[in-house]
Amino acid sequence: MLLIDKLCYRSRLRYVNASEKLLYAAATLIICIVSRSAATAVPVFLVNLALTVGKGGIPLSRYLRLLLIPAAFLAAGTAAVAVNLSETPMDAFAFPVGGWYITGSTEGARQALTLCLTAMAAVSCLYFLALNTVMTDILGALRKWKVPALLVELMLLIYRFIFVLAGTASAIRTSQVSRLGNRNLKTGVRSFGAMASSLFILALKRSNALYDAMESRCYDGTICVLSKEQPAKGTGIAAILFYEAALLFIWALAHRYAGV
Amino acid sequence: MDDRQNRMERMERMTEKENWIIEARDVSFSYEGDDKKALDHISLKIRKGSRVAFMGGNGSGKSTFFLCLNGIHRPDSGTISIDGKPVRYQRKGLLDVRRKVGIVFQEPDDQLFSASVYEEISFGVQNLGVDEARAKQEVERVIEELDIAPFQDRPVHALSGGQKKQVAIADILVMHPEVMILDEPASALDPVHTRKVRGIVDRLADQGITVLMATHDIDYAYAWSDEIVLLHEGKVLRQGTPDIVCADREALKQAGMEAPTVLRMYGCLREKGLFADGSAAPRSMEGLLRLLEQTENRKG
Repeated sequence: MLLIDKLCYRSRLRYVNASEKLLYAAATLIICIVSRSAATAVPVFLVNLALTVGKGGIPLSRYLRLLLIPAAFLAAGTAAVAVNLSETPMDAFAFPVGGWYITGSTEGARQALTLCLTAMAAVSCLYFLALNTVMTDILGALRKWKVPALLVELMLLIYRFIFVLAGTASAIRTSQVSRLGNRNLKTGVRSFGAMASSLFILALKRSNALYDAMESRCYDGTICVLSKEQPAKGTGIAAILFYEAALLFIWALAHRYAGV
Repeated sequence: MDDRQNRMERMERMTEKENWIIEARDVSFSYEGDDKKALDHISLKIRKGSRVAFMGGNGSGKSTFFLCLNGIHRPDSGTISIDGKPVRYQRKGLLDVRRKVGIVFQEPDDQLFSASVYEEISFGVQNLGVDEARAKQEVERVIEELDIAPFQDRPVHALSGGQKKQVAIADILVMHPEVMILDEPASALDPVHTRKVRGIVDRLADQGITVLMATHDIDYAYAWSDEIVLLHEGKVLRQGTPDIVCADREALKQAGMEAPTVLRMYGCLREKGLFADGSAAPRSMEGLLRLLEQTENRKG
């Protein structure tokens, strides 16, 4: 979380208009999920890799390490699709266990692979957005896209206070550790509980103070702010639409001639 | 020093009506569920364009009083007048007060709600209902004026304490307040940022903005302010020019403070027979040194 936040501020694509990036990521993501096809997933993944690492300048090792996080979940999920427990063996593989078989079909394996590719491609779309776009820019774009103000304001406050509360939590934790609060499991659990409860109270106090401070600046129920935006470029949007159309075309071709 | 003299004289000359920007009459306030009064019959007046230091221990009522001046707290009894008009506690009246009186809170993390510096600063001016082009212009002016440009594209959570304080001041300044309240602006800042913030405050005061500042640094208050208000347990212990307040050792002692270092030093040297000619007490170390040099020259 914090790492992603640091990386996006350093991305070379940071100042590209946020609406363009959001449009690209959302449209590509939708095509990936709807098509569920290796023919779209593979190019999407590669293009996102090139954009994020090549153009955005996010270090490749960091990027791969971030991909490992969803990959772990994915491995567990796809194993369930590819591997079955059955009384009769299937065509791909079968290991007898007692009277049963741990077995899988070629169709199942193919499905699992497609699922894997689609999921990784979808994640790469989200990573493209998260690693190249600053959160406040995304919120600015959502505001422009007429997402309900309440939702955007909540996101704004939550995002800001994640860092404030994380800072407070780490300070409390340091002070606990320095007093042997984590000497063993028992003290560790107790310390954690104490931290959580005091954090809750602090969060309440903070929100009161913040409300006072906002009120003192004539806050009247809606947060209206100006954002500093790079204007969206016509060529950028045209390029995105062209790319999405090309993806759809590839999908249609693959579906028709290869059946994937 | 002459500058201060001139300003005081100019203020004295002003008519009674224009003269007082803030007037508190018999103001009392207590927090819900608290028996003790946070403010206990406070009456005081603040001159337009003056620099006023609010001093007193923790819990003496400085911050509570500030929140009353801005209409966040409504006094249980007594009245507060801003610019000659009593504060009206409905939407329109409060908006009016908050437009005129701005508070820079002590803890920037309690004030800065947005992760973007630009959005944060634009909040106040947007609430005033000016058009977008004008608001943009104002935000950019303040960013320029307070040297925020070098870090304006960084997220608020990545800024240092001093930088957050600069943004917090910009938040208020963008609204063009007539009164600027700063609650312990130098707390938790390093010397470099303290100087920077104090420089900004001086510039604001020079522009004619009335500045109210809570501080625990009596040396600074003595050198900087036109007036000191000494609070203790929700009451005004003493209000007056720094000379008058700092000469009242009893009141200072009651508030748990000592006289300014330069004043104590001046007192010691005077006792030793230097400055026998009744020269006025210096406000700062530089003033004391000048005085010493003058005395030496006279002897030589």
